[in-house]
Amino acid sequence: MKPIFAALLLSLFSSLAAADSTLLVEDAWVREAPPGARMLAAYMTLKNPTAQDLVLTGVDSPAFNHVMLHKSEVVDGVARMLHQDSILIPAGGNIELKPGSYHLMMPAPEQRLVEGDKVVFELNLEDQACVQVQAEVRKKP
Amino acid sequence: VLLAAVLLAGCNPPPPPQLSKATQLPSPKPVTDFRLIDHNSKPFTRERLQGTWTFVFFGYTHCPDVCPTSLTMLGQVQKTLEQSAPDELPQVLFISVDPERDSVEQLARFTPYFHPTFLGVTGEPDEIQRLSRQLGILYMRTEGESTDDYLVDHSAAIMLFDPDGRFHAVFSAPHEPESMASDYLAMKNWYEVK
Repeated sequence: MKPIFAALLLSLFSSLAAADSTLLVEDAWVREAPPGARMLAAYMTLKNPTAQDLVLTGVDSPAFNHVMLHKSEVVDGVARMLHQDSILIPAGGNIELKPGSYHLMMPAPEQRLVEGDKVVFELNLEDQACVQVQAEVRKKP
Repeated sequence: VLLAAVLLAGCNPPPPPQLSKATQLPSPKPVTDFRLIDHNSKPFTRERLQGTWTFVFFGYTHCPDVCPTSLTMLGQVQKTLEQSAPDELPQVLFISVDPERDSVEQLARFTPYFHPTFLGVTGEPDEIQRLSRQLGILYMRTEGESTDDYLVDHSAAIMLFDPDGRFHAVFSAPHEPESMASDYLAMKNWYEVK
């Protein structure tokens, strides 16, 4: 890629990440899934540097029909997934969306996503703010 | 005295290995007959647990978080073992707890992604239960938004069978590839000298 394009892309991405909200999002990624997988998961770190709690109420994405907030947990040796209506990011705190815990769940699109592909998520907060974040498809546990 | 000690050591079986994550059953548990089908459309029965070590993970292909994480870790275990003993790799089974949606074809597309040696196994719900019950594996469907859009809660453990086809050890979640590989090798070595 020519440097000028790289710079343009970079500025585009940082402006996406720095939308006019107070929620910071880091390290967003979607797990590459096998052929035939019907559901995908996405992960990221949500940071709230403000003095007020922030509440993530929903996520949209042009890449997926719908995006659900989920949490996996293992209780007495049994793994289960629980739908979350919202996720609270405490004032000054972080919430990590990570394997085996909070995550986004999306139906897999018709065109299979593979390592290196990029998708955009729009994170909707209770205070009407919307944060756009770009996530990369990665092949990892 | 030294000779006596050596003789004594020769007669007693070696003590069970020190394991970091796995728990060995006090006495390995044979399983009774079951009749399932693998992702190559071949019958998968109790006999196919004989003559090889076998890792078993119960899950389903609509599971986007816990199952791919566990299968990716098992893939890493298999890659580690490939480096030390490529000729005696364990069998790794992904047994569906969602046979209504996990067809043979679905498992054939899904399972080898994690490692080409992995085998997806499905079958009649009764037959899956026939095996899972013997291993203390639990699973239950939970409400979804539609009849085809449900989740399945399921045991997160990975089970290990010995080459006599007996349930030998269990790895509880969270799983960790390095300790799984080293625990497996420790049990295998112990089993061979025992």
